[in-house]
Amino acid sequence: MKRFVRSEGYARARLVSGALFVLLGAIVIVRTLAVTGPSFGALPACVLGAAMIALGSLRYRDYLAARARR
Amino acid sequence: MAASVAARAPAEPSLRRAVTPWGSFSWGYSDVGADIFVGLGLVLGAAAGASNVAFLFAGLVYVCIGLAYTELAAAYPVAGGGQYFVFRGLGDIFGFIAGWAVLLDFTIDIVLFAWSSIDYLSKLVPILSFTAHPWVHFVVVFVVITGLALLNIIGVRESSAFNELVSGLDIVSETSILFFGFFFAFQPQLLVHTMQLSWPTTFNLMNGVSLAIISFVGLESISQAAQETQRPASVIPRTSISLILTILIFALSYSNLALGMQPWHALPLDAHGHTQPLWRYLGNEENNGSAVAVLASYVPYFGALAALYVPLLGAILLLISSNSGVFGSSRIAYAMSGTQLLPSAFQRVHKKFRTPALSISVFCGVAIVELIFAALPSLSPHVHALYARLFRGEDGITFLGDLYAFGAAASYSFVFIALISLRFNDSQSPRRFKMPFNIPITFRGNRVEFPVVAVIGFIGIASILVFTMITHEIGRIAGPTWLILGTIGYLFYRRRKRLPVFRSQPHDWRKAQINILQSAGELEMMDEYLVNIRRMDERRVAEHIGPL
Repeated sequence: MKRFVRSEGYARARLVSGALFVLLGAIVIVRTLAVTGPSFGALPACVLGAAMIALGSLRYRDYLAARARR
Repeated sequence: MAASVAARAPAEPSLRRAVTPWGSFSWGYSDVGADIFVGLGLVLGAAAGASNVAFLFAGLVYVCIGLAYTELAAAYPVAGGGQYFVFRGLGDIFGFIAGWAVLLDFTIDIVLFAWSSIDYLSKLVPILSFTAHPWVHFVVVFVVITGLALLNIIGVRESSAFNELVSGLDIVSETSILFFGFFFAFQPQLLVHTMQLSWPTTFNLMNGVSLAIISFVGLESISQAAQETQRPASVIPRTSISLILTILIFALSYSNLALGMQPWHALPLDAHGHTQPLWRYLGNEENNGSAVAVLASYVPYFGALAALYVPLLGAILLLISSNSGVFGSSRIAYAMSGTQLLPSAFQRVHKKFRTPALSISVFCGVAIVELIFAALPSLSPHVHALYARLFRGEDGITFLGDLYAFGAAASYSFVFIALISLRFNDSQSPRRFKMPFNIPITFRGNRVEFPVVAVIGFIGIASILVFTMITHEIGRIAGPTWLILGTIGYLFYRRRKRLPVFRSQPHDWRKAQINILQSAGELEMMDEYLVNIRRMDERRVAEHIGPL
């Protein structure tokens, strides 16, 4: 397990999942706002989308840091 | 499972610092990540169309709590978590109360997660179903708790590699569920429609919020991991932020999917033969203990596969979490005993197995009493009628959820106050991570940063504590009773030992902090700390002597 989480493959998998989270977060925000407009009902979905984008960005930053260490 | 004896004794000062960043993340995840498996069904049953709002409110409070734990665990990387921070920031008696509330949570943790683990297994083995066979369910949960207690007494724990593997599989699984759910079945129109049509009463919304916080309990593991991580001040903030976001995303995703997802296949009709929405089906008594597995089975394409393995994966994750309750309660009691907040009996180690057998037996005993209290209404119609009259008919799992929320909200409230206190009274300790949004002020000649987010978090968690007291008949009585009885016992113990009863014993925090940073390998921080205290001492001497 330790060897796997240090591998290049793991870093790439995190990069891909991070990119997917950013994409999914953007989709959730855009689709919800398109239906409801900026309303209270859209708030939980928009916060969810923002959290997904933040996690995706964090993973991208981690990937860059891991690459710099190599 | 790997055997571990002396090296795993609780609060052992020489715990090996061998936890990697991934190990630190998975440690926290296996504790907090299991909570949504329990919380989702309970919140859907209480908050109906506002379940996502309940999770949002509790989730934002959780972010504040997570940031507070991250700051404190990186500054004081010792096991003990909330109890240690409050002990250090607010003194002995508050340290005891916070630790006692955490102990309540750990005993509930043992029962609630063992109970829920069997609920998830019942999706694959129907004879374990709580609604159809309550006696079988009760006996199996009882056997699981007793078995975990025995395994911990003889010193057998799951290995950290097993923990990491299960956490990794669960993250992949949950991520897949939400990707398939959001890409192929999420309908914002349905979400908004459900929210408008099934918006709960204010009482039920408060009830839902108080139950939603149980999806975010277990942050003690952050500080536990800090104790065993090399260079925790730099590793803990990185893994904690990732953990906080991951848990928040899963909780918000599941609640939004439950309200706004078009099920992949038709749902069964309700008891009256009517069609029912997905959220109501997930929140009913039959499914609320295993809501994530049921939700996963209705996700397009992936659902057929998920129905086969999610119950098993959930059951394993919940069992690990239940075991962490057994282990954690004995470790906290051991640490509290070492600082004379609890009698020395809790530090006694079994001669042969070298584990805190008495602590494990006592807290597992408390857990079994809680199990009996929670299971009684389903086992006897007379007790069911009595509960219906006295406690508004709360079911067993909701009772456990009530107490879990009470213990967590009580201890987290103290942690926020301790964080503010430590910013003022221990500004010399270097903080590699600080909660955002601070107001710089001068306090007794020291430059201090007042943490605005801690105040917001305190208001949030205190309001959840109030919601718990307002909405839960049993939690309102049992939670404060636990704290009052514990405090009375503490006062008697301190008086008998001729220790300060309401005040604190003298503690050499400077020496303690130097030892902590040295053993963590944070030598730069230790040097910085030494420079800070020397400067402060010089300034105090100068102020005392005055200008020449």
